[in-house]
Amino acid sequence: MTYFFFIIKSALEDFRRSKMQTFLTSLGILIGVFAVVTLTAMGLGLKKYISDQFDALGTNTLFVAPGKLLESRGMGASSLLGNRFDLKDLNSLKRVRSVKSITPLSSKSGTAKGTKKSEFSTIFFSSDAFFDISGFEIDKGRFFDKRDVDKRTKVLIAGPKIAEKLFGSINEALDKKVSIDNVSFTIIGVIKSKGGGGFGGPDYDSYFFGPYTTGFIFDPDKKFIRFAMKTDENINIATVKEEVKNAMLKRYKDDEFSIVEPTEILSVVNGIFGILNLVLVAIASISLLVGGIGIMNIMYVTVSDKTKEVGIRRAIGARKNDILFQFIVEAVALSILGGALGLGLAYIGILFVQPFFPAYMDVTSVTLALGVSSAIGIIFGVLPARKAANLEPVEAIRYE
Amino acid sequence: MIKLDKVVKSYKIDEETTFYALKESSVEIKDKEFVSIIGPSGSGKSTLMHLIGLLDKPSQGEIIVQGRKISGLNDDEISSLRNEFIGFVFQQFNLIPKLTVLENILLPSFYARKKLEYDPKEKALGLIKRFGLQGKEKSYPNKISGGQQQRVAILRALIMEPKMILADEPTGNLDSKTGTEIMKLLKTLNEEEKITIAIVTHEADIAKYGKRIINVKDGRVV
Repeated sequence: MTYFFFIIKSALEDFRRSKMQTFLTSLGILIGVFAVVTLTAMGLGLKKYISDQFDALGTNTLFVAPGKLLESRGMGASSLLGNRFDLKDLNSLKRVRSVKSITPLSSKSGTAKGTKKSEFSTIFFSSDAFFDISGFEIDKGRFFDKRDVDKRTKVLIAGPKIAEKLFGSINEALDKKVSIDNVSFTIIGVIKSKGGGGFGGPDYDSYFFGPYTTGFIFDPDKKFIRFAMKTDENINIATVKEEVKNAMLKRYKDDEFSIVEPTEILSVVNGIFGILNLVLVAIASISLLVGGIGIMNIMYVTVSDKTKEVGIRRAIGARKNDILFQFIVEAVALSILGGALGLGLAYIGILFVQPFFPAYMDVTSVTLALGVSSAIGIIFGVLPARKAANLEPVEAIRYE
Repeated sequence: MIKLDKVVKSYKIDEETTFYALKESSVEIKDKEFVSIIGPSGSGKSTLMHLIGLLDKPSQGEIIVQGRKISGLNDDEISSLRNEFIGFVFQQFNLIPKLTVLENILLPSFYARKKLEYDPKEKALGLIKRFGLQGKEKSYPNKISGGQQQRVAILRALIMEPKMILADEPTGNLDSKTGTEIMKLLKTLNEEEKITIAIVTHEADIAKYGKRIINVKDGRVV
């Protein structure tokens, strides 16, 4: 064991004596590891972000959205441009036996004016069932209820982020008036933070939530962008889908709406990120390969430089395997050094992008990065190390 | 304790020409002897030393170390013999520049296969004190004088408590005063520690420290 530390120490002493060469050699691994870790962190983060958005909805939820969501036309465009639903659809879906609760969803964006600040924000209009379906919890005050929906009261629930921005603190925001596009609402509750946000998708912490009937103030046509519903857990989800579909088919053609389970979206997301990750790993592997060749090259140079040293060590009793081990350790130290620097740099990079991108570094990528770099050290270090080990002692010691 | 029996070292230059670095020679070094091997450069004395030091294998003949034939040993076993049996001292000191004085002295003990009956670090520190190198433990070889470097090399040779010290031109890179000190040191080791000493030199002044002188000339022991 002490011998092992001794080898590491003398390898580090070598590095210290030729810092520039060491740095340049490990640069290939550094870049490779940096690329793998950062890119997978971004992929993972994005995937986690999207998963989290749907995870909150639980297993017994369904969406009805306009257009074909999960087909080639893509998610975003069709749901924005497709036909929108109305109260008639809401009532017909409410009559579906296996749907336990349902909420229509619509939204309105505008400048929200608080006591401290004005900020561009969005209100999500829904029924009182929305909080249950989305798994929201109240932090201060209360959710709006069926009465608020029936009476079209001008009340809002605020996300914690927007409440703090507009009023200075969550407590301050409660029972205050907020005006959005010159319509005044009372804030009756603030939800607990849902986290996430920042990349295109909904950041619930920065939203307001109001009764859908109140939302008609902004939309005389009384339309909804989609429905979210909780289904009876005793009934097979496929059966529920069939029933919902039949209800929808009374008014729409098959391709004018889609019924989606969050898990379906998740599997699509997972599929996309699976491919994406594979591509990233393939690209990064090339740079790791180049890095490994760099290490092999410099190790050959090192072996030449250290021929005399090998001779001395052999003369005083080092066996071939001792020499082999020494050079492999050196190659591994070199590549782990690159790996660790790449990892550190990736960590800083991830911290840097986190405010506006949901990058997320996990233990697997760290282990993988260090594992792969040590493997590179071993693989590309073996040949030069063997060359060193096989030097004839008498030739090596005469070498000048 | 070491016997070279009719050894030959030759190199094939091409199909027809063979170069004989050492023609058939037999040499025996006995226990506790102080032997000087003298000869001009190119005489084959270095080849002879490499053979005695088990750094090289003879083309013909046999080397017998304490009754064991070298031809029957594999590379690892020969390495262990070098480690435990022989201590080397070279003309250019051959310390490893990136290791400190203490680490250089300890180096052979890292390669030891047998369990040592003493703590090598304690032993090294004791030797450093005894041979006047205190305060230099953490110095790197390029920060100390040539005489000190050669003393470090001798301590490195002593750390494994070898039976024999093999010194190749040990004074070649030193001024005559320091050279004399080093030779006296080797003489003390022979007389007091009963360590067999074999030195290779081309200088008659140095060779006369030996109780027996082996002359090498034109690739032959005379």
